[in-house]
Amino acid sequence: MEPMKIELVKPSELPEAAKRLSAEGTHPLTAMFGRDERRDENVKGLSIYCVFENTGTHEMEALKAVFKEGVPYRFPTLTYVLPAAAWYEREIQDMFGIVPEGHPDPRPLVLHESFPEGFHPLLKDVAKNTEARGERRYDIHVAHGEGLFEVPVGPIHAGIIEPGHFRFSQAGEAMLQLDAKLFYTHRGLEKIMEGKTPFEALPIVERICGACSIANTWSFCQAVEQIAKTKIPRRAEIIRTLLSELERVTNHVGDLGNIPGGVGFNPAISLGGRTKEMLMRLQEAVAGNRFLRGIIVPGGVSMDITPELRAKIREVLAAAKKNIEDLSEMFADQSNFRNRVRTTGIVRKSTAADLAMVGVGARASGFLHDSRRDFSYGVYPELPFEPALEKDGDVAARIKIRIKEFHVSLRMIEKLLTLLDEEQEMTLSVELPSVKGEGFGISESARGSNFHYVALDGEGRIDRIFVRSASYANWPALPIAVQGDIIPDFPLINKSFELCYACIDR
Amino acid sequence: MLQNSVAGLLVPGILQALCLVLFAPLVAGIINKTKAVLQKRQGASILQEYFDLYKWWKKPVILTKYTGWIFVAAPVVYLTTSIIAAMMVPGLLTGSFSFGDAFVFVYVLALGRFFMTLSSMDAATAFGGMGGSREIYISVLVEPAVMLAVLVNATRYGSTTLSQMVIQYDQFFFTVPAVLSCAAFFLIMLAENSRLPVDNPDTHLELTMIHECMTLEYSGRLLAFIHLGSMIKLLVFLVMFGALYLPLPIPMALKVLAGTLIIGLVETLNNKMRLFKVRVYLSAAVILLAVAVIAQ
Repeated sequence: MEPMKIELVKPSELPEAAKRLSAEGTHPLTAMFGRDERRDENVKGLSIYCVFENTGTHEMEALKAVFKEGVPYRFPTLTYVLPAAAWYEREIQDMFGIVPEGHPDPRPLVLHESFPEGFHPLLKDVAKNTEARGERRYDIHVAHGEGLFEVPVGPIHAGIIEPGHFRFSQAGEAMLQLDAKLFYTHRGLEKIMEGKTPFEALPIVERICGACSIANTWSFCQAVEQIAKTKIPRRAEIIRTLLSELERVTNHVGDLGNIPGGVGFNPAISLGGRTKEMLMRLQEAVAGNRFLRGIIVPGGVSMDITPELRAKIREVLAAAKKNIEDLSEMFADQSNFRNRVRTTGIVRKSTAADLAMVGVGARASGFLHDSRRDFSYGVYPELPFEPALEKDGDVAARIKIRIKEFHVSLRMIEKLLTLLDEEQEMTLSVELPSVKGEGFGISESARGSNFHYVALDGEGRIDRIFVRSASYANWPALPIAVQGDIIPDFPLINKSFELCYACIDR
Repeated sequence: MLQNSVAGLLVPGILQALCLVLFAPLVAGIINKTKAVLQKRQGASILQEYFDLYKWWKKPVILTKYTGWIFVAAPVVYLTTSIIAAMMVPGLLTGSFSFGDAFVFVYVLALGRFFMTLSSMDAATAFGGMGGSREIYISVLVEPAVMLAVLVNATRYGSTTLSQMVIQYDQFFFTVPAVLSCAAFFLIMLAENSRLPVDNPDTHLELTMIHECMTLEYSGRLLAFIHLGSMIKLLVFLVMFGALYLPLPIPMALKVLAGTLIIGLVETLNNKMRLFKVRVYLSAAVILLAVAVIAQ
C-alpha cells in the first residue's frame, strides 16, 4: 500500500476540502482524528487529520489542519457536509479540546458527566496516570409529547455483555427515537501506547477487542511496516491472510448463532454456539490461545502454520461448513423466523452512504465497501474473491451476507492452505529499522474495515496511534435502523449488527 | 348436611391442590430438560425448580420505598388464585371430582393476573409497565378463546359445571369437534402460560419479555410465590387439557406427561413471533373453536 497523501489546509477550509475529497472516492469518510504536535519543531501545534479512501487509485488521502499556538482551537463543523463526521468531531472535542463550531450535537462523546470540564486526555501535557473525576453536563436525548414515555436500558444488562445505555422514546410499543450512550469504559489505550515501541504496544493492540485481534494487529503492523518502508516475507503475508479469514469465519459463525437469540430460536442458538466453540478450539490449536493473539508481529508472523495444523484446519472447517449449511436450512425452513427478520431494522443505502458505514452493515444495504477489494493487501489479489451484496438492508439481509461471506471465506482459506503448501520460502519475519514517520494500516475485520494510524518519533516510539474499528463506523446507524420498529424487535436488530463496545472503548 | 357437603368438597379439593403444588415444579423441570435434550445440551436436573424455589425462599425480599401494599399483596393473590384453580380443576383425583363453575375458574385466574398487572405498574419501572400492558393485550385476546373452549364442552354436556364437562370417551372419541377443540386449547394453553411462540420464558432480554417483565422487581419469597404460582397454573392447564379436551382414554399422569413433552418440543421447534402477530395466532384458536361449536 502506498503511504498516505497528506494535503495541508487551513482549519476554516476543512469543510470545503473534505467535500471535494469525499466526492472523489466512493466511501465518504474513513476517519477523523486529532494529534498533539506542539512539541514537534516542524509543526508546533495541534492538528486534525481527515482521512479519505480513494477507491479508484487504491490510495489513502488525508487533509491536515494545524492549529498553531495562539490560534483559537475551533473549526467549522464538517457534519453538515459529511454526516459521518459527527462522532469523530465530538471525540476530537473531548480528547483535544478542539471545538467543531456549529456541530448539531455538541455533547461529549467519550468523557461523560463524571469527568471534569476542560479535561482533554490526549494532550501531551496530561500525564498518563492523571486521575480525572468531576462533573459536567450530559443530556440524554428524549422525545416529548402526550402519551410518550421513556425506557432506559443499561448500562448494566441482564446478559453478560458490555456496558451501553439505550434511551428509547416510546409511543406504545413503537420506537420513536433511540439515543445510545456508549463509551462507558474508556480505557485510554491510545494514550498508554504513546511512548512505547511497536513491540511493546503489540499486546495492547491485540486486546483492543476480543473478537478481532487479527484485524487490529494486522492494521497496526501494516502501519508500522509502512513507516519502516519494509516489505514482509510472502509466507508471512499468506499466514496473515489465512488468520484474518479464519477470524472472519469464527465471527460470522458466532454472529449467526447469536442472532436467533433475539427471537428465542433455541436449536439455532445451540447449533451456532457449538460450531463457534469448535472454531475457537481450532484457533487455540493454531495460536495457543482462543483469540489468535501473538501470531502477527511487526515485520511478519511469529510462528508457522505446520502441515499438521493445516490438516486440522481443513478438517474442522469442513465440519463447520456442514453445520452452517444446516443452520441456513433451519433459517429458511422456519416461516416464523423469516417473518421476524424480514423488513426488520432497515438501513437504506443512502443512510449507509451518509454515515460511511462499513462491512456487513454496509454491504447488507447495497453499499459495497470491502477493504479486501479496495486495498488488495495481503495476498487477497490472488484469491477467489466475490464481495457479497444484498440490497434490502434488513436483519435478513445481514444474515444472508454473513452466510455468503462464510462460504467465500472457506474457499479463500482452501486456496490459502494450498498457497502455503506450495510456498518454499520459510522466512517468517524481518527486522524493522526504527524510523520516524507516520503511516496507516487497513484491514477488513469480520465487522468491516479496521483503520489504524500510527506516528513514530525519532526513537521509534509511538507518538500517536489512532484506532478506528468497524464498530465505530457502524454504531451511529443503529438508532436509525430501529426507527419504525417496535421495541421487542430491538434485541434482534442489535444482534444483527453485532457491534462491539470494546472497539470504541479504546 | 351442609357441613358434610362442604367438607366433602373441600377435603378432596385440598388434597388435589396439594398434589398439584408438589408436582408443579417437577413438570416445569421436565419441560426444561426436554428442551435441553432436544437442543443437544445437558441441561439442569429435572428437580432444579425445587432448588430454585428453596433458594428464593431463603433470600431476603428487597422492596423499594416507592412500592405500596399492592406490590406485596400481588404475589400472594397470584399464588392463592393458582392454588384455588388447582382445587377446582376436574378429573384428577377421582376422575370426576370438582367444585365450581367454568366461568368462576376462568375469572379466578384472571384475578391473579389482574393483581400481577397492577403490581407491575406499582414499582413504576419502564419494564414493568411494558410487561403489564403486553400481558393485558394478550389476556384480552385469550379471553374470548377460553370462553369458546368452555362453550364447546358446555353445549355438549349441557352444563358449565367443571365436573360435568369432563370428556366422556364412550360417546366422544376422535370426533371433529373433539380434535379441533383439543388443538385450539393447546394453543390457548401456550399463550396463557407465557410459553413460546407467544412469550419466551428463558430469555434475559427485558425488551422482549411479557410475563417475566412484570416480575423483574421481585426478589426472595415474593419471587418464589410468583414462580410457584406460574408453575401451578401451567400444571392446572395441563390437567384441564387432559380432563376436558384430550380425547384419549389414558391415565391422567400420562396425559400430563405427554402435554409436558409436547410443550418442550413446541418450544424447541418454534421461535417467538412478532408481538402484534399474537392476535393472528389466537384468531386461529378462536376459528378452530368456532368450527368445533358448529360441528357439534
